[in-house]
Amino acid sequence: MNLHIFEGFGQTMQEVAIALLPLAILFAIFHFIFLKLPIRKLLDIVIGFVLAFAGLSLFLQGVHIGFMPFGEQMGSVLGGLSYRWVLIPIGFVIGFFAIYAEPAVAVMVEQAEKVSGGYIPEKLLLYTLSIGVGISVSLSMVRLIYGFSLWYFIIPGYIIAFIMIRYAPKTFTSIAFDSGGVSTGPMTATFVLAMFTGIASQIEGRDPLLDGFGMVAMVALAPILSVLTLGILFSRKEKSQYASGASGAKAHYHDR
Amino acid sequence: MDNINETVLEVLYSILPITVVITVLQFTIIWLPAEAFVQFLIGVLFVGIGLILFLIGVNVGLLPVGEMVGSALTKTKKLWVIILFGFLLGAVVTIAEPDVRVLSSQIDDVSGGAIPQSTLILAVALGVGIFVGLAMLRIIFKIRIVYLLAGGYGLIFLIAAFTPSHFVPISFDAGGVTTGPLTVPFVLALGVGVATVIRGKSASSDGFGLVGLASIGPILSVLILGVIYG
Repeated sequence: MNLHIFEGFGQTMQEVAIALLPLAILFAIFHFIFLKLPIRKLLDIVIGFVLAFAGLSLFLQGVHIGFMPFGEQMGSVLGGLSYRWVLIPIGFVIGFFAIYAEPAVAVMVEQAEKVSGGYIPEKLLLYTLSIGVGISVSLSMVRLIYGFSLWYFIIPGYIIAFIMIRYAPKTFTSIAFDSGGVSTGPMTATFVLAMFTGIASQIEGRDPLLDGFGMVAMVALAPILSVLTLGILFSRKEKSQYASGASGAKAHYHDR
Repeated sequence: MDNINETVLEVLYSILPITVVITVLQFTIIWLPAEAFVQFLIGVLFVGIGLILFLIGVNVGLLPVGEMVGSALTKTKKLWVIILFGFLLGAVVTIAEPDVRVLSSQIDDVSGGAIPQSTLILAVALGVGIFVGLAMLRIIFKIRIVYLLAGGYGLIFLIAAFTPSHFVPISFDAGGVTTGPLTVPFVLALGVGVATVIRGKSASSDGFGLVGLASIGPILSVLILGVIYG
């Protein structure tokens, strides 16, 4: 077997060193001007940097030797299939599972349950998000197969989002737009994206640069729309409770 | 120790599901050579261990400093200091962000070097920095987030009209990946630090919305990069 595991590792480490350097310098400036931390704290910070350096180097090496080449090859096989429609369900499955287990999403979902005083159960939001992102990834596949411009998805998406903001409570707006980025975990940005450019390279008339990218943007829209929808449902329920006087105490939720 | 276990689990949860889906695809539809698949599995291993080490490093050394910096900044009570360092921190953290590195190297690859990685990373970092600075302003002056979001996206759609079409997907993707495992906790820590000092305890909800704002910046800056290149 002909494996290249540490090919270009030196270069990767160099890249990571350059990436972390500005942060280290800024910390040093801070330390001398404002913080003047004790030695023990400084030691923690140094250890933190060393770990981050080692981790980031390994991570990028893994992406370069494993994810990117395999993702691209996989994409070109998928793009070359005679039954291309199968990409659409595959997209859904990938999107669904990517979100369902994502730790960052778990944090967000918990937060939303707290903010809504338990009205939005964690599980409900988690399924809404997973299905939303699943649909996003399969729509990205549709876009790739038929060559629609990203605009046809992004513009209506954000217009709908901004209309919904008018009707959703303020806190939900913040959570919604924050969660847009949360959904794109380390697998989405690395493996799935490589797969998309691979598929784009196989379908005639598709430009990998123009059609292969844009998937992350679609994935980021799904949680925005899902959280706002739940926010609107939540505020309507609050209003009806307020009207019937059942829960006047919670009325402050709809000041926005 | 608890913390480390948690990190390990976290990383496993975010990597395993897709790995399983891919393995299933490999042995049903794709059938790539075993060599390529083994290479992929080694990649998964590297990415997993790498992320675990990275996150532990961030938690041990980087995040606590983020919070300290946030509150130290605010105590200076000088507006320009807060905004300047908010900008610098946002930019510097983005330069080290793993997801941004990966996206930009993919774009470099696919464009055949026409859009170089370093230029792209700098553009994204500038964008994040500026919007973190703006977010600090928002906390200080209590500007409603909706206005900033609407203004930001309005500007995006306006500039996009003048940008060559192949820059558009890239810029929106850049907005999505900025919010990775380093930037999110860091920017949040900074924002919460500033908000707490300025407005006391009740301000914790001001921390929300920071990440959403931070992802507008790179979309704008990459679009502008496109206008310059085009």
